[in-house]
Amino acid sequence: MYNLLLLVPLLLVYLELSSNFELSNLIVGLLIVTGILLLVRPRRRLMAWRRLPSAFIALMKYVVILAYDLIISGIQVARIVLDPALPIKQGIVAIPSESESELGTALSAHAITLTPGELVIEMDEQGVMYTNCLDATKSEKYVAEAQKMRMDLLEKIFS
Amino acid sequence: METIFQLIAILALVVGTLFSVVGVVGFIRLPDVYTRLHATGKVGVFGVVLLLVAAVVGQPLGWGRGLVLISFLMITGPATAHAIGSAAHRIGLPRQGADRDDLLCASKSKS
Amino acid sequence: MVTLEIIFIYILYISLLIHIVLMSVAFYRVWRGENVIDRLLGLDLLSTLTLAVLVLLSLISQQVIYVDVSLGLAALGFVGMVALAKYVADEQMF
Repeated sequence: MYNLLLLVPLLLVYLELSSNFELSNLIVGLLIVTGILLLVRPRRRLMAWRRLPSAFIALMKYVVILAYDLIISGIQVARIVLDPALPIKQGIVAIPSESESELGTALSAHAITLTPGELVIEMDEQGVMYTNCLDATKSEKYVAEAQKMRMDLLEKIFS
Repeated sequence: METIFQLIAILALVVGTLFSVVGVVGFIRLPDVYTRLHATGKVGVFGVVLLLVAAVVGQPLGWGRGLVLISFLMITGPATAHAIGSAAHRIGLPRQGADRDDLLCASKSKS
Repeated sequence: MVTLEIIFIYILYISLLIHIVLMSVAFYRVWRGENVIDRLLGLDLLSTLTLAVLVLLSLISQQVIYVDVSLGLAALGFVGMVALAKYVADEQMF
């Protein structure tokens, strides 16, 4: 039943990509999507329908924050690269991810790589992420603050 | 309305090309691999995505696959950067002028 | 507006020229690289710039098929980069 729920968006993506709405193409898409679902076999997760609007609002907020961070990071890297003196003070900073689930850890690593001047290099078993920073002297306080806010939003989305 | 779309497309093209140039200049100028990763990641995330925004706005027939490609690049760009950085750390490339290094302290205290 | 369209087409061709120059620079860095990871980074940059050139070609020739080609190229480039990085790090693929 849950797999049937997943079948609809996959079929929509296939129809959009092939942009051909005939019956034969629909049947081919159904076969391909069923094959993908049989190969991957996604695990069943309980959907909390009542939490859905607040999760959607949190997702929108997360996307807006991510876009703002992305623009700031682009401007910062461009300023450092085009400066003739190359003012980089790089270093490796350990950041705890503070998330129990694997999905939360992966998403917070993704978000940290997109934020200004940081890049996750290594991760150990306890979930501590070692990030390479372009400006290691002032980034620690800022990173802890932003990480806490992001984790709150992620908990709201995936609870 | 047509004029506004055309202006947005021109602006996206100019800024995207500028970010591609910044990425390649950073790839040449920056001193070691770990800092070069920051610069080349910006080419994938900014240059191609802004060109795709220009394609979505300026050419009304292909916006669906443009959005699919934008989301794909947003997801896979940091993953590629993480894979290359992790490989550089595993084979032990040195980094230049590191101010602080928590990873070195952690591995020393563990062993 | 006719003049805006002409400006748009000029900017398209100038951007295509700039991207081809950038591709040659990245190819030189792959050819004369400092170490393995540097060449790997150059290959990643080269595939990304090829993506940009394909998108520009689809804008110039007004055909959507180039965006399809770039979608396939993006998927192949991602899988190839991750596999090569894992091979360099661990000396084995799987």
